[in-house]
Amino acid sequence: MPSVNNEQNHNLYWRSLDDLADTPEFREFVENEFPGLAEQMRTPVGRRGFLKVMGAAAALAGLAGCRWPVEKIVPYAHRPEGRDPGNPVQFATSLHRGGAARGLLATSVDGRPVRLDGNPLHPSSLGGASALDQAAILDLYDPDRSKNPVRLSNKRETVRTWDDVEAFFKEHFAALREKRGQGLFVLSEATASPSVARIFPNFQMMFPRFKWYEYEPLCNDSERQGSLWAFGFPFRTHYRLDMASVIVCLDADLLGAHPQSVALTRAFARGRTADAGDMSRLFAVESSYTLTGAAADRRLAIPSSGVKAFALALAAELFVNIAVPLPPGLDAIAPVLKNSAPHGFDPDFVRSAAHALFAARGRSLAAAGPDQPPEVHTLCHIINAALGNVLKTVTYTEEPFRNVESHAIGIKEFTDAMLDGRAQTVLILGGNPVYNAPADVPFARALKKVPVSIHLGLYRDETARACTWHLPAAHFLEAWSDGLAYDGTVTLQQPLIQPLYNGRTTPEILALAMGVRPFDAYSIVRKSVRTHYFRIPGRITKDYAEQFESFWRKALHDGVIPGTALPEIRPGFILPEYLDRLAADPPGGEFEIVFRQDYKTFDGRHANKAWLQELPDPITKICWGNAAIMSPATAAKLGVEKNEVVRLEYQNRSLELPAHILPGHADNSVTVHLGYGRTHAGRVGNGAGANAYRLRTQDALGFGRGLKITKTGATHILAVTQDHHAIKAVGEKEKERRVPLLIREATLAHYREHPDFAKHAVHHPPLKALWKELEFEGRRWGMAIDLSKCTGCSACVIACQAENNIPVVGREQVIHGREMHWIRIDRYFRGDPAAPQIAFQPLPCQQCFNAPCEQVCPVAATMHTSEGLNDMVYNRCIGMRFCSQNCPYKVRRFNYFWFHPGLDDIGKMKFNPEVTVRSRGVMEKCTYCVQRIQRAKIHAKNERREIADGEIVPACAQACPAGAIVFGDLSDPQSQVSKLHSHNRSYAILEEYNTQPRTRYLAKLRNPGEDARG
Amino acid sequence: MARSGKKTGQGAAGPERPLFIFPAWADRFGATLFAVSMLGVAFASFVAVYYLAPQTLNVNYQPVQPVKYSHKQHSGDLGMDCRYCHNTVERAAHAAVPPTQTCMNCHEAMNPDSDQLLLVRESNATGLPVPWVRIHKLSEFAYFDHSAHVTRGIGCVSCHGRIDKMEAVYQEETLRMKFCTDCHRRPELRLRPMDKITAMDWTPPGGDQLALGMKLKKEYGIDPSLECSTCHR
Repeated sequence: MPSVNNEQNHNLYWRSLDDLADTPEFREFVENEFPGLAEQMRTPVGRRGFLKVMGAAAALAGLAGCRWPVEKIVPYAHRPEGRDPGNPVQFATSLHRGGAARGLLATSVDGRPVRLDGNPLHPSSLGGASALDQAAILDLYDPDRSKNPVRLSNKRETVRTWDDVEAFFKEHFAALREKRGQGLFVLSEATASPSVARIFPNFQMMFPRFKWYEYEPLCNDSERQGSLWAFGFPFRTHYRLDMASVIVCLDADLLGAHPQSVALTRAFARGRTADAGDMSRLFAVESSYTLTGAAADRRLAIPSSGVKAFALALAAELFVNIAVPLPPGLDAIAPVLKNSAPHGFDPDFVRSAAHALFAARGRSLAAAGPDQPPEVHTLCHIINAALGNVLKTVTYTEEPFRNVESHAIGIKEFTDAMLDGRAQTVLILGGNPVYNAPADVPFARALKKVPVSIHLGLYRDETARACTWHLPAAHFLEAWSDGLAYDGTVTLQQPLIQPLYNGRTTPEILALAMGVRPFDAYSIVRKSVRTHYFRIPGRITKDYAEQFESFWRKALHDGVIPGTALPEIRPGFILPEYLDRLAADPPGGEFEIVFRQDYKTFDGRHANKAWLQELPDPITKICWGNAAIMSPATAAKLGVEKNEVVRLEYQNRSLELPAHILPGHADNSVTVHLGYGRTHAGRVGNGAGANAYRLRTQDALGFGRGLKITKTGATHILAVTQDHHAIKAVGEKEKERRVPLLIREATLAHYREHPDFAKHAVHHPPLKALWKELEFEGRRWGMAIDLSKCTGCSACVIACQAENNIPVVGREQVIHGREMHWIRIDRYFRGDPAAPQIAFQPLPCQQCFNAPCEQVCPVAATMHTSEGLNDMVYNRCIGMRFCSQNCPYKVRRFNYFWFHPGLDDIGKMKFNPEVTVRSRGVMEKCTYCVQRIQRAKIHAKNERREIADGEIVPACAQACPAGAIVFGDLSDPQSQVSKLHSHNRSYAILEEYNTQPRTRYLAKLRNPGEDARG
Repeated sequence: MARSGKKTGQGAAGPERPLFIFPAWADRFGATLFAVSMLGVAFASFVAVYYLAPQTLNVNYQPVQPVKYSHKQHSGDLGMDCRYCHNTVERAAHAAVPPTQTCMNCHEAMNPDSDQLLLVRESNATGLPVPWVRIHKLSEFAYFDHSAHVTRGIGCVSCHGRIDKMEAVYQEETLRMKFCTDCHRRPELRLRPMDKITAMDWTPPGGDQLALGMKLKKEYGIDPSLECSTCHR
């Protein structure tokens, strides 16, 4: 049995530490196709404890009586022009998150939105959509959504109507107007809407003494301060990764956790194929493993608190050793850097990074993450300017909403005002500060002292329950608004459905408070566009109204107003006043705790979205909860094993979480993801994980040192999918002798020498079929997935789930390995467990031409089409599961239970009507989105034309921000997929089994550089 | 010892009870019961299959509609083309039931005060729909696309029957899978010229559907798919 220290294993891919150690438990686990089933058959299944997706109401009654149920056809009374019932229509809209608008294309069928995709015309999307964006449709139909205003008085909650609310507002705010707004405090989420921002001056005029604060738990205070120190102004930094050939990320997860991560991923992916000869190089310095770190060519894992010292070392290397001239006015920095204490980092890494940055000056960039202190940001500004990267790979714009101060200071001031009684009326517009305020800011306690507190939100969450009034908000798909994208482009938001539950928007609430006629959001947005963004060349003519109308329609159609991006600036530096901050921090405590934005719940707001809870975290593959993530060395030091609950104590506050061991995590550092442990998220989110905000103090918003970790002795099994569906190669010996590599990877240098390395990685004798193979003429559908471009973001997983009505099975079933995702992202580690690399492989059904599954179905429920698809016919399937057993890729999913019980009418609205909703007992799998293929074929035939290349886009390909998935017709030699299939990097996995899959992968390339070791 | 007609229990502590002994015919009772119940199961299965079959339940299904719309009057006597009202049939999967405004196109002026059209006028005024009862329904795991058929030479009458003779619409065909695959296997038995799609009373010239069908099949390039994903997605 190969051991962990075996050098030969370092080139072998392994899925987890158990896999590498090859424990007997792991082998048994892998050998059971359905792990746990044997045991279950001995002990009867008691209560199924899986969390239901929507609704726990009584199950639907069966057929009543002996006649078929009567179904009604309910046509329009007046059908809008061009609207064919049953035909999906797309509208451009947007959603706001973290103060920026994200462009979306919403698909609506018969008046209800069923899908969200990226808007190809939007600069923050370019067609791709992240998992969070696509799942945003769920809270439109969420049964836990707040439906009515609620009044809380004397600890009793009563449901009220909007008439009651209006009466209350009329009386209360009239009194406030008398007092000129004395005691009125407003706390809102970060604004993305310029027209809402323009309401505030009117608000100010009416309530001159009111105070307005903004708070987002994931704030950019560090970036603001870093820019203030460097330039004297709070500028926003933008990166052009497609222009950069060297990128250094200092704890900056640009590909995963940046507001522009979708567009940045697309830009980054362009430089990763080496088709044009060269490839970008990404250096990542971080504590926990992030998507950026996984994509990095060279990575250094150090505690987050040490990244500042690294930045100083990097700057010293650049400005002292390489002697890059500093920007004018900053000469005082050089001596400080020269005198900085010796760093303890790998000198080779520091030198490589610095030399690479310098060698590619003008095409390089250094980026700092939001969790790092401001001086790291300032250093990055200096480095980028000194290397001539400004206006090339790094650009700056103004912050569009200038009056936003620090969020961290803001929430503290707000709470102080509540505590000392200055705040008598508190209006909370969105957000959940009771849940996510810093732990040392007693927001909840202070809120209790305020006599009148009003909360506007989508859910009756933790904050809503602490306020005297809760008002249901309108969903973004139910309301008009405008917003600014991250780069400032004006983005319009239009509703696709009338408010389901009488929710209202922020402008309407402000209008209520001001006592003016209700602001009509549509008029506000239209007026805003006309006043500020409508530009016509030449004079205003009498056709002005017509011209504006066509301008407005085009803007609505596109979703963006082109040319409205914020102008780029080249800022000048001011004299440095932060020199004392450029010294390394004194050591503080053995362990540090790092608080990270979660890839799924974001800051906790998405905790009730079942799709996102069930989505395995891209790196740790944990779902339905969070964990204390640490490195193997740290775990060994503490004597902690996986799933053991540890107590994390930081600044006299404690939190208990199960431990998860992540190879490649920095030593002496523990990462916890924010956004779990919610108490009032809804039936999906409640109780999932533990609330890391309880440890997150104002001085440790990103990370803090001095963490104490103790074992509690308890265990909590994390639902981790990393070992599910392990493809087991034939025999252990074969694995060593003839490694069938699933992920074929090479460095750029190796690729240049051996362009065909991917094809020659596996040698097998000539393949023969057992019987005469059928030959078909005509179309052959195929797919190509480029592993060099894939960053593992899992947007494709959610896209597939949304498009194909894939159910959510809940934590218990995931632990049994029964998650239903048709496409999964396998994550492999490679190399030394102390510092491995990560490679991702999205795995949908390979649509094998010689499919093992088709050969064993007793009822012919899975058949091959003449166009190469492996059809799955749900109504024929009897649930024997032999097909899944026979599939070497393990891409078939079985509906063990009826996963949609008790859905009410609203809950059913989220389904895509084009795809059957499967019942229990049937097998399902990726179909290459056959519904989209059929639709395209029918349209093409009706119009008597051929299908163009790129006309059919499966959901995964559409969503992929990197454009890694390409689909098309292999019989057309000019199609993109044909070219990719004949690419020298292309290979099929497990092709030695002669399955002849129609999905081929393009081997992954890394570019560690000639100076790198290994 | 005196003996009565019945035997008594032996050595019982309580009062004597007659011992029940199964009569002789009980020996064959079990077998008979089994045979009869098997026959009963067979009969029940037959009843279920026959009476619950689409042929029984769906064919001739003629529900009462909220408005007594007569296709016989409109498409038959007045000669209105199917596609005037069901205007999405050539470009969409659903041959949509027309919106109220289609009815009002004529009935704004014609019979504006008729009692039978009360619901239609109400719908037009309030914007609420007329709740028609659906007659032709496939299972929800089967997806049918009208435009693919109507634009390729299949007439309305082939699946819907003589609508132009129906006062109230009833389902003519079973519309079960066999019905679809029969035609997919031999489309020449149903094909008609493209300009005769809505002609309910069209017959092939000379009565020879097969010859015309084969000719049209070649001309139109009809090769209907029998693959599962064509209809089952």
